[in-house]
Amino acid sequence: MARSDVRAAGLPRFLRAFALVLVLIFFLFPIAWIFLMSFQSNEQILRIPPHLLFTPTLMNYRALISGKLITAAGSLDLPFMRNLGNSALLSAASVALSLLLGVPAAYAFARFRFRLGENIAFTLLSFRFAPPLLVLLPLSLYFQELGLANTYVGLIWVYQLICLPLILWIVRSYFEDLSPDVEYAYRVDGHSWWRAFTRIAIPLAGPGIAAAGLLAFIFAWNNFVFALILASADKQPVTVGALAFVTASGIQYGQIAAAIVLSILPTLALALYAQRWLVEGLSLGAVKG
Amino acid sequence: MSDKIKAMFEDFVAGRVGRRELLRDAARFGIGASAAGMLLNAAQTRALAADYDWKAHQGKALKVLLNKHPYADAMIADIESFKNLTGMSVTWDIFPEDVYFDKVTAALSSHSTEYDAFMTGAYQTWQYGPAGWLVDLDEYLKNPAKLAPNYDWDGILAGLRSSTAWSGKPGDALGGPGAKQWCLPWGFEVNNVSYNQRIFDKVGVHMPKNLPDMLEVAAKITKDAGGPYGIGVRGSRSWATIHPGFLSGYTNYGGKDFEVRGGKLKAAMNSPQSKEFTKLWVEMIQKSGPKNWATYTWYQVGTDLGAGASGMIYDADILGYFMDGGDNKERGHLAYGAFAANPNETAPTANVWIWSLAMSNFSKNKDAAWDFIQWATGTDHLLFGARKMDMVNPVRTKIWEDPEFKEKISKYPGYLEQYTATAPKARIYFTPQPLFFNLTTDWAAALQQMVAKQVPVDEGLDKLAASIDRQLKSAGLG
Repeated sequence: MARSDVRAAGLPRFLRAFALVLVLIFFLFPIAWIFLMSFQSNEQILRIPPHLLFTPTLMNYRALISGKLITAAGSLDLPFMRNLGNSALLSAASVALSLLLGVPAAYAFARFRFRLGENIAFTLLSFRFAPPLLVLLPLSLYFQELGLANTYVGLIWVYQLICLPLILWIVRSYFEDLSPDVEYAYRVDGHSWWRAFTRIAIPLAGPGIAAAGLLAFIFAWNNFVFALILASADKQPVTVGALAFVTASGIQYGQIAAAIVLSILPTLALALYAQRWLVEGLSLGAVKG
Repeated sequence: MSDKIKAMFEDFVAGRVGRRELLRDAARFGIGASAAGMLLNAAQTRALAADYDWKAHQGKALKVLLNKHPYADAMIADIESFKNLTGMSVTWDIFPEDVYFDKVTAALSSHSTEYDAFMTGAYQTWQYGPAGWLVDLDEYLKNPAKLAPNYDWDGILAGLRSSTAWSGKPGDALGGPGAKQWCLPWGFEVNNVSYNQRIFDKVGVHMPKNLPDMLEVAAKITKDAGGPYGIGVRGSRSWATIHPGFLSGYTNYGGKDFEVRGGKLKAAMNSPQSKEFTKLWVEMIQKSGPKNWATYTWYQVGTDLGAGASGMIYDADILGYFMDGGDNKERGHLAYGAFAANPNETAPTANVWIWSLAMSNFSKNKDAAWDFIQWATGTDHLLFGARKMDMVNPVRTKIWEDPEFKEKISKYPGYLEQYTATAPKARIYFTPQPLFFNLTTDWAAALQQMVAKQVPVDEGLDKLAASIDRQLKSAGLG
């Protein structure tokens, strides 16, 4: 009897583990395969049928980091690390600016009722729905007039179209979730609304702000078209730079794989670091009502 | 001694002595290969400068927009020659091909003054030229004061010169009366067969003579080669599926894209010739094409040939050439052949892709940009590209006769011969019209349906022609 109980309990556990492994394989296989590809030469990758066992090489990473790929066909310049740096700069600066502007704005929308408030909030949100090319072509004319074309400042400004509405609307919902009573009590003690905002509201909405910042960073990191249209080759992010391995004379699969691994590392590290706040923040926002 | 050495290289540039004599004399003076290269370059620069004021725009700065391509690599490798010749500075932006034309279109449509000149294909100029975004380069070519006497415009293959000129009137012949020269040919590719000699030997087949023969050869490879499929051709839902092998063979069968009557266009994709050719083409892909044919672009077709996954391709000759080097598994095993699809025709009618250089109408340095374009498409730079870099195919007949280039290209079996057989009739066979990209994409989509057996070929082509006629009518073209 006891033995059959163990068996009965063991079977579902085994099935659960098996199902878990299947799900993991399904979701992680492409990433694992790319990771393996990044340690192979093009010739190894293109073998028919593909081999799971191979002699690993660091040539793809070496080429990306040194900026030069030496092949039998000649030498190829790879500005990939510059692209990576551009992505980091554009994403980090854009999110920082959006937080600076968006968090106080979100607080204002959450706490104060003012004329045209909702209209302004929806106008900001509508930037997220506009097709990028529709916005970018006229914008590039203005940027040329203003001297902002092909500058990091101009790009960071345009990246606000991605980051600012996201941060504003997510953070606004967190502020609305917080009871204003704590802030009123603090203000009754003689503190200004600004101190209430910085000392009470921001710390309480911290997880939400972190989650919104992280999401905005990921969206900015993945953006492709803004810099492509508005900037020169030396200011392109990693999303455009990774395409340089697809050339008329062939596709450098190994470098593409290594580039993917390198380009997901910063967001992955950030997401892992902020995972606790991210989950907490997102779930808090989700149950608002 | 230095004057003697200078004179020796100048004599070579002027054609007074041959390459062998130059090498022999250079060796006598103890000049190594790299020093000889520098001296030759300097002599060419002096020769160019002798009869044209290349310094007229000294001190100006140009910016060009380039696609990541071996032709662009050759230009950059030789850019110092231009700087020395003109005293101008040149910077460039290089973008990957996947996004290149988005960048060009955005820059031109926003009237950006950033780029003075840029790489383009001839098809793209059918949009850019009539929109007023490009300079008609006839303004320079027909002005003796602005054209270097040794530029030799007529030295560029006639089919390429006419293919890059158009009046802007839908249906007008390329290079016909009133045509404007929207760009200058810089490098080009003809569509022919590149095949894997190792696989051919293994299976015991020969370079196909025509399309019915190609079907048999491809089927035998698929059946007997032990893995590789017979023939690689493009199949994605894009204009790029129609323009290489497909249109070359289609034209050879007498097929046309449109009939032009009284200035109006009428779709001709359902003509008897078109149906005859398309049936064979569809059958070939169904029996011996790649499994994921509908996703195949330049990259997949080339990669499979280089990796030994396909027995042959009917695509750009330079695609085969590129796959014959680098770290491709099948390098050294590839061969090339001219291909006339129609059994009743002896000569190929290869449609061409022409990488060209065009000038932005919004450039603030037009005359200086012109000097750049005529240098880049001139004999000396193209000779450098052909000899030292991967600038195949050269657009100038003279370069195909250059002994050093001939020696280099002779290492690719059949390459020179396929070019020689194809060059006389190599040109763009599409009818120029502003809906080019949309309508050829529809054509590719119809092919996909036929290959997938969703619709029989006859019916599919009739439907395609009817749909295209409707679109032409609503655009005022039909």
